[in-house]
Amino acid sequence: MQDTTIILQILWTSLATSTYYVLFAVAFALVLKVTRLFNFAQAGVMTIAFYTAFVVVQWLEWPAWAAFIVMMVVTLTASYALERIGFEALRRRGVSVMFVFVFTFMVSEFVAYVAMLIFGTWPQTIFPTIFWPVTLVGEIAVSGWDLPAMGATVAALAAFFAFMRFTRTGQFMIGVADNPGLAELYGIDKRQIFLVTMLIAGAFVGLGMFLYGTRAQVLPQTALSLMLFAVVATIIGGIGNVAGAAIAAVILGIVQNASILVIPSEWQGFLLYIFLFFAIVFFPNGLKLPRRRTRFGTATRNTPPAGDAPAETQA
Amino acid sequence: MIRFDRRAGMKVTAAACLALALGGSASAQNVFRFGLAMPLTGSQALYGQDQVKAAEWAVAEINKAGGVNGKKLEMVVLDTQGDPQLGIQAVNRLVSVEKVPVFITAWSGVVKAVAPIANDNKVVELSVGANSPDIAKLGDYVYTTFPLADIDLTAVAKYAATTMGKKKAAIVYINNETGIVAADVYKRDFTAAGGQIVAIETYDQKATDFTGPLLKVRAANPDVIHLQGLVSDTPQVIAQMRQLGLNQPISSYSVAYNPKLIQQIGPAAEGVIATSLAPGVDDSEAVKAYVARWTKEVGREPNGLPYTQYLYDAPYLVAAVLKSLDDKKMPITGENFRKEMLAIRSFELPLTGKTTLGDDHTVVKPVYLMEVKGGKWTHKATVGK
Amino acid sequence: MEYLYGIIIIVGLYVILATSFNLIIGYGGLVSIAHPVFFALGAYTSAILSRDFGVPVLLAMLAGMLVALVASIALALPSLRVSGDYLMIASIGFQLGLLEVIKNFRFTGGPGGLTNIPPFLIRDFGRESYVLLVLAVMLGVIALVWWISRGDYGRAMSAMRDDELAFSSIGRDAMWMKIAIFALGSGIAGFAGALYAHYFRYIAPEQFEILQSAAILTMVVVGGMRTTWGPVVGALLLQALPQAITFLNLPPSVLGPIQGLLFTGLVLVFMFVRPQGLVPAKDIWRAVPRAKAEETR
Repeated sequence: MQDTTIILQILWTSLATSTYYVLFAVAFALVLKVTRLFNFAQAGVMTIAFYTAFVVVQWLEWPAWAAFIVMMVVTLTASYALERIGFEALRRRGVSVMFVFVFTFMVSEFVAYVAMLIFGTWPQTIFPTIFWPVTLVGEIAVSGWDLPAMGATVAALAAFFAFMRFTRTGQFMIGVADNPGLAELYGIDKRQIFLVTMLIAGAFVGLGMFLYGTRAQVLPQTALSLMLFAVVATIIGGIGNVAGAAIAAVILGIVQNASILVIPSEWQGFLLYIFLFFAIVFFPNGLKLPRRRTRFGTATRNTPPAGDAPAETQA
Repeated sequence: MIRFDRRAGMKVTAAACLALALGGSASAQNVFRFGLAMPLTGSQALYGQDQVKAAEWAVAEINKAGGVNGKKLEMVVLDTQGDPQLGIQAVNRLVSVEKVPVFITAWSGVVKAVAPIANDNKVVELSVGANSPDIAKLGDYVYTTFPLADIDLTAVAKYAATTMGKKKAAIVYINNETGIVAADVYKRDFTAAGGQIVAIETYDQKATDFTGPLLKVRAANPDVIHLQGLVSDTPQVIAQMRQLGLNQPISSYSVAYNPKLIQQIGPAAEGVIATSLAPGVDDSEAVKAYVARWTKEVGREPNGLPYTQYLYDAPYLVAAVLKSLDDKKMPITGENFRKEMLAIRSFELPLTGKTTLGDDHTVVKPVYLMEVKGGKWTHKATVGK
Repeated sequence: MEYLYGIIIIVGLYVILATSFNLIIGYGGLVSIAHPVFFALGAYTSAILSRDFGVPVLLAMLAGMLVALVASIALALPSLRVSGDYLMIASIGFQLGLLEVIKNFRFTGGPGGLTNIPPFLIRDFGRESYVLLVLAVMLGVIALVWWISRGDYGRAMSAMRDDELAFSSIGRDAMWMKIAIFALGSGIAGFAGALYAHYFRYIAPEQFEILQSAAILTMVVVGGMRTTWGPVVGALLLQALPQAITFLNLPPSVLGPIQGLLFTGLVLVFMFVRPQGLVPAKDIWRAVPRAKAEETR
């Protein structure tokens, strides 16, 4: 077994399996960038996405493409509800960052319990089988899952970056991300932009879970663990840097797997945190933090409503 | 606006305490009671609930056949979620409020966490299903009726080295207590039986891509691979093993032994060997009837079939000891239960056969090796009968 | 009544945790989720020192508190140098990373946890004495927080929270005050951890995960940030509520999810209906009436 084969194989499979991580990281990072909040409720949306696809394929026995469409519709609806009913209400009340954290966490827990109630706690997959046929390219094993997954992810990312670059809404999103108050002065509708952001994130999440669920098993609590990776990638990639989060997700996956060549496998999981530690300690000024705001969502700083502290929000 | 205030919170707590106190004091006289602390909710519930159901069936059967010397056998079931802290609360309740002489529990974390309560209060703790070797050393009042990790791992390691004639083995395990302990045991026993361990690799609990460790295993060129994972990752690992060209026989433990595995990974499952610590449908008529009842009443096989068999048998063991105590007119205390249980020593149990409690607080049972052949689980061998 | 003692102690410890967390995030205005990891540090330090090195339990407990305190300074000092917001990110990393370290070392018992932790007080004075100890510490912590918030220090914290720029312009050092608050709160959490370890005598990494952060945070937020009694009420309620739900006698297969649903659902509804918390904070300065606040938004 030559080392080149091993390295190439690791490279290939890591790239393939990083697809869903990239999608989750991009969704998380985008919401963080534009709306300034750490959206842990994303785990809830992920759970909804997966189980919708599962129901359509395994209970209704519809074809995969139909499942994908239904899943997307449901996921986008969930994102819409989350933004309009959840986050908007919180913004209007000017609640603190910690409040939002608890809220998003509770939403994900709530969704997990609903899933547990309806689907039980046995691990599930979207298709009944997770075994994909393998073709050997040279000596590299290429699974039948790899190419479609990578293709879909690249297409989604390309579409997204084109959107951000070339459309007005995309430009508005960047404007709101930089300075919401100023953006409003220029006539940009913040509400709409936040909604669009959440919907795009929802789309990424849907695709990501569809990919994940066709390759690995999912439990009601799986989404929250997957989120951890997305959060770490976002932090390492740089707060406010969506492309950075995507790249970080890919590199983290590759390095974690490749590390096996130099360190004992027990420390693989730990490696992630070492990177996080380095990123936090050695590149603090390199990370772009959003400017300080008094309160989640508002731009004024002098009027605390009764009973709430103007915490130093940043997310 | 809801007028919640501090007083409301206090009232709720007080009411809860009162209800508990009242509930505890009303203990019936002509009833024999014991406790069962299992994950009814949470991530382990898929196993816990089936195990509780098996135990409930057993209690119902015992009572149908006349109970214990004509008196009813009652099982108090509490939820632990497989969490040590909640386990402590549940067992505290069983011991202090329900005042049971013996309770059954499972899941290594819970078993360990509640051991001090059993020992301090002289109540017998029966661990049924957890397999951490530490359990043997948890104290005077902690016994396991389920064989600990060294039993089935030793069996499969020795079998691979001797009967299957494999000289080189690789171990792939999940980086948690189950995996770490299992890797140690397998390594020890495979080498003792004359084999050589060529690779030991682990993967993180949250991993979904096992390429790195598996490639290292492939490079070492083993004759057989032992996999110790959890139900949520075992299928993926095996699937990826086959995809990377690892076609050696793969041995695992009871977690792999379920029909869904074959459905999920299809041809990749061929040659997978799993251990089972309880007789299967082909080994015992009673087990066959039991599984048939599951399929009829619940519509599927139980999750973790062998574990449910042990949980079905546990009330029978408890009932046997209680009957003996009642015959001898001894007071039903934890201390007496322990004495009598050790006096009887050997029990003939319906679904798992003969069980003998050793001085080391453990049991030794035969290990059934099952293999996937032609897309089905078949009985390969029985070790230690 | 060992059952009740266990519950009282656990609730008492949660009150201590919630109150000390409130000191950090409510009064101090810091954004951090790393509270359970200091709880863990205190527990593990005390357990390992007393079990493996024969240190007398009381000393070990104090050592646990000290380790948690020092660790919190190690976290806060570099983070706050960048900005207060940065602490949130660093705390996530610290919470997750340190737990991984604990899981990977054999001397901490690894993922299987530490058993046979030596008991304290129970052998000599009975369980009641431990209950009294925990309750005493709990009342002490509440009193401490109350005293801090009412005094000059409390005023200074309020000023710092409201307008840090103005605060530093009158010559007060915001950063050191924040670090002091963080260290104090975390040290208390560490002591609570030691108290936990020597009563229940078994600790495992899974008990200190990020879910605990959310739980403690919920107690503070639902109870009412920046009040003395808010976290107490929050802790009591959020411990009593799940227990009360178990009395609904639902069948086991639906009990768990429904219990979880009721609990999280109630919390969510509650957060919408009364976001300021059960016990509303009264700031030293009179707050601007809500109508006026809306105008200037």
